[in-house]
Amino acid sequence: MRNYLLPVIGLWTVCQSSVAVERQTGVDEQSQLPYWQISDQGMSLRLVQRLPAQTRGFFLARGFTAEQAERIAQSCVFQTVFKNVSHDTASPSPLSYDLRDWVVTYAGQPQGMKVREDWAKEWQAEKVSKPVQLAFEWSLYPTQQEYKPGDYNWGMSIFNLMPDAEFDLKIVWRQFGETRHETIEKMKCAADIELPPAEPF
Amino acid sequence: MKRILLLSLFVLTVAGGTQASAADKQTLPVLANPFPAPDFELKGEDGDTYRLSDYRGQVVVMNFWATWCPPCREEMPAMERLWGKVKDKGIVILAVNVGEDADTIFEFTGHYPVSFPLPMDQDGKVIADYPVKGLPTTYIVDPAGRVTHRAVGSRAWDDPKLIAVLMRMRAQGAGGPVRLEP
Repeated sequence: MRNYLLPVIGLWTVCQSSVAVERQTGVDEQSQLPYWQISDQGMSLRLVQRLPAQTRGFFLARGFTAEQAERIAQSCVFQTVFKNVSHDTASPSPLSYDLRDWVVTYAGQPQGMKVREDWAKEWQAEKVSKPVQLAFEWSLYPTQQEYKPGDYNWGMSIFNLMPDAEFDLKIVWRQFGETRHETIEKMKCAADIELPPAEPF
Repeated sequence: MKRILLLSLFVLTVAGGTQASAADKQTLPVLANPFPAPDFELKGEDGDTYRLSDYRGQVVVMNFWATWCPPCREEMPAMERLWGKVKDKGIVILAVNVGEDADTIFEFTGHYPVSFPLPMDQDGKVIADYPVKGLPTTYIVDPAGRVTHRAVGSRAWDDPKLIAVLMRMRAQGAGGPVRLEP
């Protein structure tokens, strides 16, 4: 029996590694903007460009001044969906991450993302009203999160780069009892052009 | 050798199949450490006042949402269908809007008609009392007032398996956590 099991286990390992990471890039059907996606048997992360015009309009409508909305819009914003898809596997597992562990490499220089807490300091210093801060906070992707199987979020992530900048993104997450990391190469911030989006958010 | 190949094929099929159907399966994670639901009193979009503790003895589906949030919008019709099936069975939906005003919510309900209560947490004080990190997040509060389940992201709330969990919680009262059947 042992002789039979060994090749099966070997094949399982190969199989696991072959589905370990799947990468996709293309044009998002809904927004008609470029996306980058990475997934394996436990997780799925999709990052879709947002045009500065979309982001500017969104935050102007939520009470930010023109200067503040422009500052956010010019900071390289992506629509982000991160899912724990392990619930249909043999061993569902929680997934956790902290965006402060993720690394943005632009022109050879590593830097961090600009997360909720970084922006909150700016808004507090500028005495932005509480409802406006609240709208911003909940629009942004959570800095830290633990997803049980089947859980996911949807929100904006901000890479603090200029429009049209090309960068690599190292993502880090923990699942199945280990810390994983993968790098998505040659991502690109949206250019500052006017294109009517199919969906406002 | 034939047996090894068959076994290997089975393993490959199982491994390949896990990805395809993952998106469709419902989950309702049980909290490892249930906690007492912080009470609140909020004005609803309809002008009525909603106090969580008024629903003690019932099961409360407490959803935090906003009109601009796509997955929040996505799950509203399913939540309305759930409401149609459970509203006279000791199960309540309180969909707490975060940070928006009555006009914005009223406009939203023109596109997404719902008939369950929409309390407004305009200053974010209620959501700050709960460990919410992203919208939508839905908590299930048992008849004893304890938060027992958390779902992050949208769900098909009218799925019979999810409804069965709520009904069993209602029937069971303050018993242990009810798990979603596979």
